[in-house]
Amino acid sequence: MSGPELTGDRGGLAAGGPLPPDVDLGRVWLGVATQVWRRRPGRVERLAGRLLRSPGLARALVTTPSLLLGWVIATVVLLAAGAVATRASGTPWVALCAPALAAAGIAYAYGPGIDPAWELSCSMAVSDRMVLLVRALALFGLNALLGVAASAVSGAAAALTFGWLIPMTAMCGLALATATVARSANAGVAAGLAGWVIAVLAGKAVDGHVLTAITDSALVLPYLAIAACGTAIAVYMTRIPRGTA
Amino acid sequence: MNIETAGLIRRFGRTEAVAGVDLQAGPGVFGLLGPNGAGKTTLLRMMATVIPPSSGTLRLLGRDPGAFGPRREIRRRLGYLPQSLGYYPSFTVLEFVEYFALLKELPPARVPGAVAAAVEQVGLGDKARARLRTLSGGMLRRVGIAQAIVNKPELLLLDEPTAGLDPEQRVSFRAMLRDLGQRASVVVSTHLVEDVGAACTEVALMHQGKIVFRGTPDELTARGVAGGAGDAPLERGYTAVLAEARS
Repeated sequence: MSGPELTGDRGGLAAGGPLPPDVDLGRVWLGVATQVWRRRPGRVERLAGRLLRSPGLARALVTTPSLLLGWVIATVVLLAAGAVATRASGTPWVALCAPALAAAGIAYAYGPGIDPAWELSCSMAVSDRMVLLVRALALFGLNALLGVAASAVSGAAAALTFGWLIPMTAMCGLALATATVARSANAGVAAGLAGWVIAVLAGKAVDGHVLTAITDSALVLPYLAIAACGTAIAVYMTRIPRGTA
Repeated sequence: MNIETAGLIRRFGRTEAVAGVDLQAGPGVFGLLGPNGAGKTTLLRMMATVIPPSSGTLRLLGRDPGAFGPRREIRRRLGYLPQSLGYYPSFTVLEFVEYFALLKELPPARVPGAVAAAVEQVGLGDKARARLRTLSGGMLRRVGIAQAIVNKPELLLLDEPTAGLDPEQRVSFRAMLRDLGQRASVVVSTHLVEDVGAACTEVALMHQGKIVFRGTPDELTARGVAGGAGDAPLERGYTAVLAEARS
């Protein structure tokens, strides 16, 4: 299984004739391979590495399924479509979509069910809990930024531009908690989406308006409570299991 | 001792997968044999710090894996190949091995050299830039071995490492194991008794969560002299010990 046994004793391999006996071609090749195969991290990964002070954490961040280019583009497209629809119909589609999109993204920051090498990742020095924390924060920040930008473009009122941020936090907490309890990212997505649909429909049932789930100030505390409980559950579920040494 | 366990138990609900294992192992290649469901993989997963024990004592590389700091230190010095290792299909061989080298917190300056050495050691130099989705099962297994050895581990845990390897690759792999066993504790869980006979300095046989035999491959072979089914001497020893444990 080891590589070709290229040593100086096998002289005559080089075009210039026999090699000096102390030249280890295997070692030389490794030096060459190290330089040729060296991967240069992308700009985002380098920046993340500097901010997080951990190249491993930075690499884990840029490999987050819901932070890959395809997912980000899909999110941008959906929010852009929501902004266009909002301008055309007057219904704040961005505010209604953003919490669900963020919840799905956050749930997919968690490994089981979507990370094929999850078992292996659990034996690494960079803890899976830290990876999850960094991924979740990055996703939350990105989704909030994109959502606010789309809301602003859609010309929604200020209350709507920022009003969905608290429900979004709650749905993210719910999705993350469910994902970690069920050990399934897909279960987290389902819980986040279902939670938000129920909140919107319940608001509509109460006063006939779909925006109640976003604009009703009486819901702020319950949303914050859901977010806090969800975060606490996720932290508890990813705790370091105590050994018995 | 790199591995020390005493009364190690792991339960899943009412099932006791590992039912009180006492084990000490220093440098060398340690073979873990046993039928399906004997508890080999669960024992290995505890040693890999993936799951904690339900009770009993576990110390790895002289440290307590239950505490955050020591566990992180153990993981930096650990190599682990799970039984079913998932792969990122879009990663190249180099990217995959490098990813886990970084997660093992290898100093960044050392990573490119360590990755190149590991990839060469498993004979995948010519496939270094190939996407994982294009590789055969045997090659993927070798990628898994490469990530396990990339940090020159002091404790190497391999679950069914030769599954999918062709006979020539298995011979090379055993030679690599013997070499690694000179300085590290290598635990190999396998069904293939010939791997144990060729590469292991010591062997343990598990049955229903317990170790029912521990000794050298020669001692296991000797247990089969009086009886036992199988084509090879070591197989006869294996079946004789198992038959005794079941009776």
